[in-house]
Amino acid sequence: MDPIRRSLLGQLARLSAGAAMVPLSSVASAGINQQPPRREGDPSKRYGMLIDLRQCIGCQACTVSCHIENAAPLGSFRTTVSQYEVAHQETGEVATFMLPRLCNHCENPACVPVCPVEATYQRQDGIVVVDSDRCVGCAYCVNACPYDARFINERTQTADKCTFCAHRLEAGLLPACVESCVGGARIIGDMRDPQSQISRMIAEHKDELMVLQPEKNTLPQVFYLGMDERFVTRPDAEPVALDVLDPHGKEMGYEFGH
Amino acid sequence: MNSAIELLAPRYDIAWYPWAVQYFFMIALSYASLWLAAPGLVFGKSRWLPTARLALLACLTTTLVAPVALLADLHQPLRFWHFYAYANGHSWMSVGSLILPLYVVGVIVLAWLAWRPALQANRQAPGLQGFIARWASLGESPTPRALLVLVGLATLALSTGIMLYTGAEVAIVKARPLWHTVWLPPMFVATGVIAAAGLILLLNRVAGERSTTVTGQMLKVMLGACLAAGLIAGSWFLDGINANVGSVAAALESVRGSAEWRSTALWGGLTGVALFGALLYLLTRPAARRPALFAWAWLLGLVALHVGWMFRWVVLMDVQTVARHSAGFHHYGVPAGSSGVLGIVGTFGLWLAAILLVDLFVPWRQARQGGRGADVSPAPASAASPDSSQEHAPEGAPHHG
Repeated sequence: MDPIRRSLLGQLARLSAGAAMVPLSSVASAGINQQPPRREGDPSKRYGMLIDLRQCIGCQACTVSCHIENAAPLGSFRTTVSQYEVAHQETGEVATFMLPRLCNHCENPACVPVCPVEATYQRQDGIVVVDSDRCVGCAYCVNACPYDARFINERTQTADKCTFCAHRLEAGLLPACVESCVGGARIIGDMRDPQSQISRMIAEHKDELMVLQPEKNTLPQVFYLGMDERFVTRPDAEPVALDVLDPHGKEMGYEFGH
Repeated sequence: MNSAIELLAPRYDIAWYPWAVQYFFMIALSYASLWLAAPGLVFGKSRWLPTARLALLACLTTTLVAPVALLADLHQPLRFWHFYAYANGHSWMSVGSLILPLYVVGVIVLAWLAWRPALQANRQAPGLQGFIARWASLGESPTPRALLVLVGLATLALSTGIMLYTGAEVAIVKARPLWHTVWLPPMFVATGVIAAAGLILLLNRVAGERSTTVTGQMLKVMLGACLAAGLIAGSWFLDGINANVGSVAAALESVRGSAEWRSTALWGGLTGVALFGALLYLLTRPAARRPALFAWAWLLGLVALHVGWMFRWVVLMDVQTVARHSAGFHHYGVPAGSSGVLGIVGTFGLWLAAILLVDLFVPWRQARQGGRGADVSPAPASAASPDSSQEHAPEGAPHHG
């Protein structure tokens, strides 16, 4: 990707992160693919997360603790940390870039209006959840999410995703990923409370914050501090490991692509 | 930025299975063949009646099978009633779930009205055929032509709803840039018409009708649909060629980055050009040579079905393997079980069974625009088409079972 386009996307990313600070009056429109009204949750709060990438060491403690807390099936993740080896363009020096990913609990979530039975909905505190008793497993939301934050849980055969550990928040606890983060890189809180840590950090670092794929107009509410703008969109990188298949097409293991 | 390597990222499975391809294929055949049946059955063009009879058979059977594939693509098929208990007007899929049953009922009623006079004429037939004819024809009263036209028009209107919702449902998904283009819904329709015309060419041969009128009409329709598809594909390409993001940019990126996508693009292009060339060749031959050449048109029908099915496979399955959030492509091998090969084969098997059952018990070759049982001439062969050059098996197909 050319540098101009990259920097444009970077600008866009900052712009969108900024726009999300403006308290959005919820749009009550009734058109197809518009957001249905929010329900449940505390309307006086708006949860969001700030991830300070300068503190992330890529230990995957969040991945593991989330997996245990939420009993996701093996191979499916509500949160995970992507890791990239990046070479400096001039010196060739190699560094590792860590990118924790989870549901962005967007202000304009692409997954919510597509649900044909309103099983997935946004609470008034901004958290996007799934009612697994109602979900028909059509997987439309899985395809609609640009962040691969959703999956079909093979055990429940319904859509599954990060809930900011709403059950823990309600009990006054931090989400499992935040609780277990060794570097304190993940900060969750109520963005409507100006005294919360997240509000203060957002105010402090306003111009440096970025969100993922701002051009999708989903207005993500997970903000990255210390982000490399080249990773804001789909990374232009050599893909992860290549699957090694046996002659019957069964997976034997991985190997790297080079 | 090729200096970056993705060391660690989860593997993301596809979310829509081949069932979705089967649904999109079947429902496209259904609405397109409905429109091919319309001139003869609804608008009363008698030259189109032989085509309409084959098209109605294609339409009814695909309409019955399509929702089965759609249900199977749900991970919780038994919760389908949630679509009606908790309908969400914000979702195209929900809108579709309201249109689809109405459309299915419309097609069933239309087929019943068109077949009823022939069923009435068949009431005296021996055995199960006669029993079904007596039971399904619901009395001896004539079938009002106006009612058939009315149901036909309503079903045609509903079919445009199906075209719109199946296209929009996919095209609104911003998360998959390859889908997110206004040119996708019309392309679904154009390739659907190509495939439906191909299916009718094939049925024309397999059912023993071998009508050159039908072949000529379907070749022309297919040529028109090919032109439309070419125009749509061209517009899509020119529309996006200068954009850095979007559907065309994503397609070019995929073609650049993957040998599989390159061969898919090449295969699709070559097949389209070959089909178009063959159609032009067949339609420009002198009239005297046409019957001999048209006898092979069913082969083009197979190619057309391939085009319609492959387009849906590439759009719905292959696009899901393009990583949207991580680097490269996800591996997808079609599994052997019901969410893979078995589902694909099973859908086609069910469809074949539906065609055979209709063929066994319903005198579909005498479908007509309403009227009385007495209007239907008893021999299936004489009801076929004005061009009597084709050879009919004297016993007629309904007895071959």
